[in-house]
Amino acid sequence: MFTKEQARKLTEKALSFSTFPECEISVNSSENAFIRFALNDVTTSGFTVEQSMSISSIRDGQTGSTRVDEFDDDALREAVKRTERLALISPPNPERVPPLDPQKYPELENHADSTAAARNQAMIPHIRAIVEAARTNGLVAAGFFERAAETAAVANKQGNFGYGRVTDANLSATIRNSAGSSSGWASHPAVNIESIDGAAVAKIAVDKCLRWKEPQRLDPGKYTVVLEPTATGDLLQLLGFSMQARAAEEGRSFLSKKGGGTLVGEKLFPEFVTLRSDPFNRLYSVMPWGGGGGGFGRGGGGGSGLPAERMTWIENGVVKNLFYDRYWAAKAGQRPTPFPNHLVLEGGGKSLPDLIATVDRGLLVTRFWYIRVVNPQTAQATGLTRDGVFLIEQGKITAPVVNFRFNESPVEMLKNTVAIGQPVRVRGGEGQGMLAPPLVVKEFSFTSVSDAV
Amino acid sequence: MLTRRSFLQSGTAAALASRLFAAKEGSTTPSPELENLGAGALREAQKLKASYADIRIIRYRQQFLTVRLNPERGTGKTLEVPMVSDGGSFGFGVRVIADGAWGFAASPLVTPGEIARMTGEAVAVAQANAALRSRPLELAPVPVYRVRWQTPHERDPFEVPLEEKLNLIRSAAAEVKKEKGVFAAGCTLSFRSEDKYFASTAGSSIQQLNLQTYAQVNATAVDVKRALSKTRRYQPQQVTAGYEYVPLMNLVENAQRIREEVIEHLNAPAITPGKKDLVLLPSHLWLTIHESIGHSTELDRALGYEANFAGTSFLTTDKMGKQRVGSDIMNVWGDRTTERGLATTGYDDDGVKATKFPIIEKGIFKHYQTIRDQAHLIGEQESRGCCYADNWASVPFQRMPNVWLEPGKADTNLEDLISGVDDGILIDGDGSFSIDQQRYNFQFGGDAFWAIKGGKKQGMVSRVAYQSRTTDFWQACDLIAGPSYWQQWGAPNDGKGEPEQINSVSHGCSPARFRQVNVIQTD
Repeated sequence: MFTKEQARKLTEKALSFSTFPECEISVNSSENAFIRFALNDVTTSGFTVEQSMSISSIRDGQTGSTRVDEFDDDALREAVKRTERLALISPPNPERVPPLDPQKYPELENHADSTAAARNQAMIPHIRAIVEAARTNGLVAAGFFERAAETAAVANKQGNFGYGRVTDANLSATIRNSAGSSSGWASHPAVNIESIDGAAVAKIAVDKCLRWKEPQRLDPGKYTVVLEPTATGDLLQLLGFSMQARAAEEGRSFLSKKGGGTLVGEKLFPEFVTLRSDPFNRLYSVMPWGGGGGGFGRGGGGGSGLPAERMTWIENGVVKNLFYDRYWAAKAGQRPTPFPNHLVLEGGGKSLPDLIATVDRGLLVTRFWYIRVVNPQTAQATGLTRDGVFLIEQGKITAPVVNFRFNESPVEMLKNTVAIGQPVRVRGGEGQGMLAPPLVVKEFSFTSVSDAV
Repeated sequence: MLTRRSFLQSGTAAALASRLFAAKEGSTTPSPELENLGAGALREAQKLKASYADIRIIRYRQQFLTVRLNPERGTGKTLEVPMVSDGGSFGFGVRVIADGAWGFAASPLVTPGEIARMTGEAVAVAQANAALRSRPLELAPVPVYRVRWQTPHERDPFEVPLEEKLNLIRSAAAEVKKEKGVFAAGCTLSFRSEDKYFASTAGSSIQQLNLQTYAQVNATAVDVKRALSKTRRYQPQQVTAGYEYVPLMNLVENAQRIREEVIEHLNAPAITPGKKDLVLLPSHLWLTIHESIGHSTELDRALGYEANFAGTSFLTTDKMGKQRVGSDIMNVWGDRTTERGLATTGYDDDGVKATKFPIIEKGIFKHYQTIRDQAHLIGEQESRGCCYADNWASVPFQRMPNVWLEPGKADTNLEDLISGVDDGILIDGDGSFSIDQQRYNFQFGGDAFWAIKGGKKQGMVSRVAYQSRTTDFWQACDLIAGPSYWQQWGAPNDGKGEPEQINSVSHGCSPARFRQVNVIQTD
């Protein structure tokens, strides 16, 4: 882990070996601690230290890139030389963008010392609480508690320099009965590990496992669903990949208009749908630069290197902005934007029980699993429900239901949203998660039944 | 924590890595310098009263070259966009068992001092967790090896001049773009090497070199009027091999084929959903094998160790030797010795020699994939050699070996499969994939689809995916083509575990036919 001064010295050292007019560096160092548990027992656990530097050298548009994790003078000198050799062999990149001038990065550091310092002793009591809750109920606990601390810097030969630190932690638990016929799940991602409470996570997961007894089999079809925040986030976090201006203009995304042009400015969604990126939200811990890249062909790992900023993608149902990397922005005469991550789907005032109470007949979904894109043009995806599906009748949860496979697009999901609750930070089984509210969505497409528990 | 001093003065690591892993002509034992470094970890672990320890010191190298041809915004002029990168990573990871629990620690500083320090960290992790342990760990016995192994190869891909590689991918991409209707074209070549040293308190000292070679040619077609686009890929078999394999990939020749097929796919009619017979080519079927058979027969999954992430398995331990998974013609092997298999190696990350074992015999589930600390859980005396970590900073655990389907009879041709289909689909290449948390319900797309009607292959169709239940699907397998059709595609990035790791694994098979599978129409 390096301080700002150490990062500055390190990047200056690497840049000092450059003979090209342009050289870009991004470097990071991280420490991770984790404990994995299953069958009411700890399984694997570790403490790891990693560091990595990505270097790109550019001359007349010819670019070469490398990645190293040794930072002694010889290693850096050789790495920079390697990128210059690679560049000289490579054809020029016509989609190159000019190097960044010194940028003013925002002060948005959200670093929790407690997370950065946490080791097994900080995590064990929470895991014990989960295992004990499982045992008390005659159930079996599995889960994962991890924390990460990372420092990173970006720099180039034009004098740009940025530095950032992030910390994050996540505790997730799956509670099953010993017959393997029921399962419940909960997780708690947080920047500050001290806010994570294993007993609270256990309570939710145990409760779901106990309630999901002898689920009934319903037919596939379109249902009104109440998605818990994690389920919303599981599907919606994919939408960021479909917001590219380039793909939209080229006729390759759901934002492409038939005959040419894009749907930016059009009201595609209900009025209460507002989707933003908010790296400043204190529920996130992020680097002060946005992701997104400087155009295809640019090496390095620092994304575009542009300062992080808030963006509104969908506002009151209207497609407000598309993602422009620096190259496409320059070609289109637009401002470059950060990549659509650190997403927030703005909420309404209702709680999850309030939303359930509005549904005459529907399904309550805990989360989704194994979501993969079926058609990138429409963002249609397929996946499964997992760890708790319940029937809602006349505003009340009445029965557990066997899991389903869905084929649905996050675009259609938003179009069919009829009510939104309050967003919370979520992180499901895959992906980085987001700030997502519970939703009521009509005509959600479940296409087959899954026997999986 | 990396101290400031150790951070700034990490020594000449680049030179060290090169020296440690330099191939000595004719050498059959590991480098003495690696053995010294490894011995330091084992000594420290034993000093701290660990009952077991192992260390992996690994250098990775990854070279990636890609070229994309796409139209310039506004002018429509074709731009050739290259990207060339060549980098790597070097570090070590130490595993211990102390006070009956596993501990692990890793660092990028490969020095005796850091190795000793991180061994101490691993022991501290294990001892802290001992309070949570309820079950004793038991390691299956393993012979002692002091040996070197490498992926058989003739031409080190990292020695081949970059110009030669760039010329190849530029011509393949250009070949695709010769078709005017192709919107964008691309070609990628990539190489991965893993120089790995393993030493354990069991007594083994093993040095291995693993080489992987990948390529891809792709085409995109767009109909702006309909706001519709389609892609088509030529994906050569992914292999552990050297550069001698690259000419066998026939990138340029296949570029000519996919530039026609992408246009045809863009204009192909949508499938009518319903039950159909499927003829699945090896370039596609590998992924179905991977998801439905490869993953369901991982012992840790079956026992519940993966419950919090990818789930469990419908193949619970009581089903070993009994459960019918597929038809009588279905025979599947777990195998880390297959020629050019992505998971092929000399020894696994427990130090167990690569082996081969039946997973499915005549449709019946036989054996799980196991590692040293699992074998006893199902009453077995030996590990099946499936231990792997994807990085020096990752914890070794049970990963899939190559899992392959035996071919059918020698005189069974692809034509035989097709001619027996009245209403069906032929599928090439992989597309979308998804399977549930116990490996029952799956859905697969593909890269290209052709209708089969009245026993004959027709034109392309589109918007195809098929959905089935693992045992229904494999019991519907009624014919497999012969050995001359057997090919081995695979996954370079199979995900599993927490923290998540990747794995490279191959799934050889011949084309196979499946009756009356539910085909859906996608977007």
